[in-house]
Amino acid sequence: MQKKICMLGGFSVGKTSLVRRFVQSIFSDTYLTTVGVKIDKKSVALPNRTVDLILWDLAGEDDIGSFRVSNVRGATGLVLVADGTRAATLAVALTLRERVEAEFGAMPFVLLFNKSDLRDRWAISDREIDEFRQLGWQIYLTSALSGEHVDDAFHQLASMVTA
Amino acid sequence: MTSSLDPIRLPQSAASIDTEIDRAALALLLVEIARNVDPEHHARFDDVPASDHRMETLRQLLVGREISELSRVTHLLGEAEQFADAVGGVLPSATARAPHVQLGEALAPAVERAVQRSIQKSPGTLTDILYPVFLPAIRKSIGEKIDQTFQSLNETLRHIFTWHGLKWRFESWRTGASFSEVVLKHSLVYRVEHVFLINRKSGLLIAHVTADNATSEDPQLISSMLSAIQDFVKDSFHEKEQSGLDTIRFGELRLWSEVGPFATLVAVIRGNPPEELHEIVRDVLLRIHDEYALALEQFDGDNSQLVGIETRLQTCVDMKQEDSQQGFPWLVVAAVLLVSIPAAVWLFLSWQSGQRWQAYVSRLEAQAGIIVAEQKVYGGQFYISGLRDPLATDPQSLLSGTQVDPAQVHSQWQFYQSLEPEFVLKRLTASLAPPESVLLSIVQGRLVAEGEAPANWINRARAAAEQLSADGVVLDVSQLRELNLAELNYLREAIQATDIFFYSGKAVPGPEQTPVLDRLADQIKEFAQKARKSGATARFMLTGHADATGRETANVSISASRAETVRALLNKRGVAPELLVVRGAGTFEPVVPENSRTGSSTNRRVSITISLE
Repeated sequence: MQKKICMLGGFSVGKTSLVRRFVQSIFSDTYLTTVGVKIDKKSVALPNRTVDLILWDLAGEDDIGSFRVSNVRGATGLVLVADGTRAATLAVALTLRERVEAEFGAMPFVLLFNKSDLRDRWAISDREIDEFRQLGWQIYLTSALSGEHVDDAFHQLASMVTA
Repeated sequence: MTSSLDPIRLPQSAASIDTEIDRAALALLLVEIARNVDPEHHARFDDVPASDHRMETLRQLLVGREISELSRVTHLLGEAEQFADAVGGVLPSATARAPHVQLGEALAPAVERAVQRSIQKSPGTLTDILYPVFLPAIRKSIGEKIDQTFQSLNETLRHIFTWHGLKWRFESWRTGASFSEVVLKHSLVYRVEHVFLINRKSGLLIAHVTADNATSEDPQLISSMLSAIQDFVKDSFHEKEQSGLDTIRFGELRLWSEVGPFATLVAVIRGNPPEELHEIVRDVLLRIHDEYALALEQFDGDNSQLVGIETRLQTCVDMKQEDSQQGFPWLVVAAVLLVSIPAAVWLFLSWQSGQRWQAYVSRLEAQAGIIVAEQKVYGGQFYISGLRDPLATDPQSLLSGTQVDPAQVHSQWQFYQSLEPEFVLKRLTASLAPPESVLLSIVQGRLVAEGEAPANWINRARAAAEQLSADGVVLDVSQLRELNLAELNYLREAIQATDIFFYSGKAVPGPEQTPVLDRLADQIKEFAQKARKSGATARFMLTGHADATGRETANVSISASRAETVRALLNKRGVAPELLVVRGAGTFEPVVPENSRTGSSTNRRVSITISLE
């Protein structure tokens, strides 16, 4: 079983470094700047089956207009990534999700607040995060540095897209 | 039961269609009817009508709404126009809700008939509809056909003059296939290494088949990346066409993709594949779509519904055209060399000897007085025939230096007389033997004789000129002058008047004769020289004489001896001996008559006579 997952997020939120250590990859990061997309694979073992998440890492751009929405066609889930130290990146991630849902309808997603290791520069309040959780959203505070919660997030998404 | 009857109130508005049944009115009516069913009561009212209007009221009360609905529906069904409107209103949503398979089956005959009718009525409409669909397909097909033709032409030209080309031409002749087919079969060496079947929407890998020994990275990632690249090209250049990237070429590796409605088939080929492979790949994709249409359309990353699809893809991977690596055919090469080297040497030698022969023939043809009529080379022998002037160069002598073996030359020459001036000149020189004072030459194609000659020679020359004019050859003798012989005659007389005298019994002249001999020698030499210039040879006859004394035999002997002595003495003085002829006359030619006893000194002499030849 394989599923197409798109990783969305603004510029420099750490999407690429987030997956680098945890996924199977054959393409170099230069694909992001040349083709605008890089494909990685994350195999997640669920209790009854293994799911191969084919991760489409789309080039992060703060300019939403240049976002190539056609790359999301056929995706069954999203990984929204925001930089926990820059509040503006949350808005970018949410806007990207809105654009995708407008085009292809609602789909399961997880929201990752990355760079959780930089607590002193943290810019997202717990209250805000709680509000999202109350909407039923799956929120993870991740660190590409320590790998904290990264596997959990993919595991969660895998069970959501195969449900 | 009481007989007092309450007036019955007929429920006028009680049974509203939209509301429930008026229970109060129904109760009243039922009570009323119940009363009336009392036999006694009925007996008192004989005039109760058979049809009771209350029944109708009851019916209205109970099923009034249904009656009203029924009447509306009946009316609707009866009025075709209204019924059509009603069906039209629900038809789109009804169609959408109907199970697709059943609806498709139900509609298929009607749709087929409709399409058929439409085509019969106006074929243009359907053509216009299908034009945008067919045009890209036709264009692609024509493009592939042209590519195929060029590929075939290209390969044919590339191999037409090679050793392989010859071999394949033989194979083409043996198998009956066209030459270009055989060329393509051998030159298009390729192997389909991988085949990816990719979901068109998500880029997820549906199936992947690989050839033996072929390796690649994770096919799932490759599949998605290929899909991403397709999107990238389409987005970057705003390409609206629904087809995908047709060909990606990277050195020896080619990626050919065929796009279907739900899946794209990408074949990774190493080498130089024939264009027909496109069609084969497309066929496989079509068959897969036919067989797994629903599963492909609903593919969500789970390919458990697509069992057996890999077998179909395997047919693509099995395609290859391998170079026949049977090793270098040394034996064949050796055999060919064994035959071809002597053949080449023989050919070269034949060619060389042919060239030499032709050079010889050209040399002959360039010769004056030789006309080559026919020449041929047959079985390594040379045959030549023609005409030749006897005075022309001997053809055999011309062979020297040509490296043509004289033993192989068979010539047949007929003699003829060439009228070319140089040959006429040669012949004249031979027959007329002109004196040294005459010069025969060729001036502007004419023969000219000039100089001094004896009168009789000039006459001969004139006769020859007349004879030649009949053959159209001009011999100009106008410049010949008659030789002046006066001086010669004088010398001749002087020489012939000279006698050398001897003493009696002596064969050697006395010393007083020395000056006479000296003068005579000078005169003879001068005469001989002048005569030679005039074209004549002078002969000097030295005749020895004796007086009448002594025996006759002794006299003959001494006379001869005297002539011999003078010859020797003249020779000593530079006169060529071949000009001098000697004879002994004995006593038979005396100058003066004499007495045989005393003898005569005048008769003991050597006299000289000159003859010109």
